[in-house]
Amino acid sequence: MSLDHLLQEYRCPEGIWDEMRGPDHIRDHYNRVFHSLRQLEVGSLIQKDRMAAELFMNQGITFTVYSDNKGIERIFPFDIMPRVIPGREWDHIENGIKQRLKALNLFLKDIYNDQQIIKDKVIPAFLVASCPHYTREVFGIKVPHDIYVHISGIDLIRGNDGSFYVLEDNLRTPSGVSYMLENREVTKRIFPNLLTDSQVRRVSNYPLLLHEILLQLAPTQISDPTVVLLTPGVFNSAYYEHTFLARQMGISLVEGRDLTVDNHKVYMKTTNGLERVHVIYRRIDDEFLDPLVFRPDSALGVPGLMSAYRKGNVAIVNALGNGVADDKAVYAYVPDMIRYYLNEDPLLPNVPTYQLSDPEARAYVFGNIEHMVVKRTNQSGGYGMVMGNKVTDAEWAKAKAAIEKESRNFIAQPIIPLSTVPCFIDGVFQPRHVDLRPYALYGPQGVKIVPGGLTRVALKEGSLVVNSSQGGGSKDTWVID
Amino acid sequence: MERADGLLRVASTHYTLSMDKDVNGKMTWQPLLELFTKATPEQARALEDDTEGVLKRLLTDTDNTNSLRVIVSRARENARGVQDHITKEVWEAVNSIYHLAEGKGLEDQLSSYGALNVMEQFARHCVLYTGITDITMPRGLGWSFMNLGKYLERSLETLALTDKQFQLIGYDMDEAKDIVQWRYLLYSLSGYELHLKTYRSPHYNLNVLHQVLFNEYFPHSLIYSLTRLERHLKNVVKENRSADSDALVRSFGRLHSRLRYMDPESINGRILQEFFMDFRTELLQFGKRLSQHFFSYS
Repeated sequence: MSLDHLLQEYRCPEGIWDEMRGPDHIRDHYNRVFHSLRQLEVGSLIQKDRMAAELFMNQGITFTVYSDNKGIERIFPFDIMPRVIPGREWDHIENGIKQRLKALNLFLKDIYNDQQIIKDKVIPAFLVASCPHYTREVFGIKVPHDIYVHISGIDLIRGNDGSFYVLEDNLRTPSGVSYMLENREVTKRIFPNLLTDSQVRRVSNYPLLLHEILLQLAPTQISDPTVVLLTPGVFNSAYYEHTFLARQMGISLVEGRDLTVDNHKVYMKTTNGLERVHVIYRRIDDEFLDPLVFRPDSALGVPGLMSAYRKGNVAIVNALGNGVADDKAVYAYVPDMIRYYLNEDPLLPNVPTYQLSDPEARAYVFGNIEHMVVKRTNQSGGYGMVMGNKVTDAEWAKAKAAIEKESRNFIAQPIIPLSTVPCFIDGVFQPRHVDLRPYALYGPQGVKIVPGGLTRVALKEGSLVVNSSQGGGSKDTWVID
Repeated sequence: MERADGLLRVASTHYTLSMDKDVNGKMTWQPLLELFTKATPEQARALEDDTEGVLKRLLTDTDNTNSLRVIVSRARENARGVQDHITKEVWEAVNSIYHLAEGKGLEDQLSSYGALNVMEQFARHCVLYTGITDITMPRGLGWSFMNLGKYLERSLETLALTDKQFQLIGYDMDEAKDIVQWRYLLYSLSGYELHLKTYRSPHYNLNVLHQVLFNEYFPHSLIYSLTRLERHLKNVVKENRSADSDALVRSFGRLHSRLRYMDPESINGRILQEFFMDFRTELLQFGKRLSQHFFSYS
């Protein structure tokens, strides 16, 4: 059977924006993909699907699920149908993210130095002070080139009006870029002609760009600074990504026990003795980085690392303390930050957000919970979310009690039906909700964004949760001109 | 990976030769169980004629820490931890063997006449791994350490297998045993063809001993492994000279010399038995010192 029949039958739910199919037509940017697929047989696509799975398996492209009893390592689910974004739309997204990142960077610099934004009452002081990720220990520390957010993943969703909204900012240790890169490599194997004919913008230069930025951050003017990637180890959920990036950049992958600090300088233990380290790309959360300053029970970090950081003897990427800027309560103020620091209107809007510390907002949300999603301000991975349209009475009673007890730690947003994309599941095309995570690199020469990013898919029918740890998968994202 | 390769060769050799019952007399799986499992003598005797049971024990039983499945899983975990020091091709080679070993239905295949096919499939993957490693790995520290591990394991395997075979004749070099009976050891070490081409005299016991211990052209001989161990050890300490590393090189040099300047004709009986035991102990001690010197976090 040809795919033409399946594609003609593809439909998405009412009131949902589908990336491929408009109300009565195939969107222009999907034309080539649509018409190419029509020529194929179902069996051929099933074979490609199988090949993709084998490629992921053979290369060990995995992630680890903490709470899964069946086994800690899972192959990252991949749907072979690409998600296509037209170039002009991408350019708008790119400009919006650059603007947003500039503002967030200025915010971080301000909040850990003069705190002018608080003095000017743009953001309430209590919101910053009560943020669990506001790191007082880094107050006043000068960072190279005044850049705090070197690597970020800005999560975008498309609503049913067709516009992109920023869902959240990931400014600490955003992950997923390796899947973005590997998805493209797999797509090259399964749709070589279509990829070439579509003139898709490339993503493969991300590791080179990142390495270039890391080298530029070295604290001393030397010709060949040592850069390392600090990983928590094989049991971390994103360990595959750590090894991937270390290999792609040609830098050493180290754990905390491989480093030592002597006289406020960081060294790596090698079989040839101690080697000075100039830049650390850390994939360890702030609180585990230095047991002498943060969590004393941390076995993942490096004792004394903060002393070297304070002295400016080592650059750490991303800077410590970024969590205050990607806190979900502070997120609501990012448009204000853009206006305050840049004197511009935001190019990419936020999703409307209700601070549950505000009694009026709380009352409104409680009265309309069936249309709301409630989130903890310091959670990620899709955990701790309450979907108001699916929560049981007992679960809601428990959640309400938690909200009333620590209202600062909760926000609510209206449930936005994410856009859908056709996915090839069980031999047919089915619509599934997606979001988009573009990755941005901020170096001394400015912000660079890899075209496309990672499209995350909620593989369960009807689900809006795209996170890999809760059944999500990914797609290759094509930006075409 | 070297241990996996050795286990597969020994198991498939034994499986094939055990079918020639009239030539080899009563050949059982007991020696392999003693070599590759922690089975007690009673447990080994209970299983010695159960081919299917033994193959499962050797290849897929996760309670046996020396089973193929467990070994390959450990190799893969090691490779995961050092991906920045091995090439992508090497990682994929290890990973593919791992997935083969974890595959469903493997036990069923071992039950049927397909057991040899399964072992050959794994053996091909192991050879592929060796080739990929040789072709893609840069000749730096990572390569040297990989070879230190490989040749240390190979030396220990050669000693263990040879010891087991000589134990069957009471370490008596004059005990009559013809070449057909030595096939088991020589096939297990991939040395049968070389033996036929190299050794013409009828002193089979002595010839086999010479080949596995002293023949520098035989890749599984002890001298071959020790020569390469010495070379890679020197590469590793080249840029890391210290009193401890010099002491390590010297102690290994003494071990190597002991073998190099040994008189094959003088080894017989009790001396041979003690030689196998002492040499294995010294090699294991060398391995331990190597780990302590380079990988200790103190």
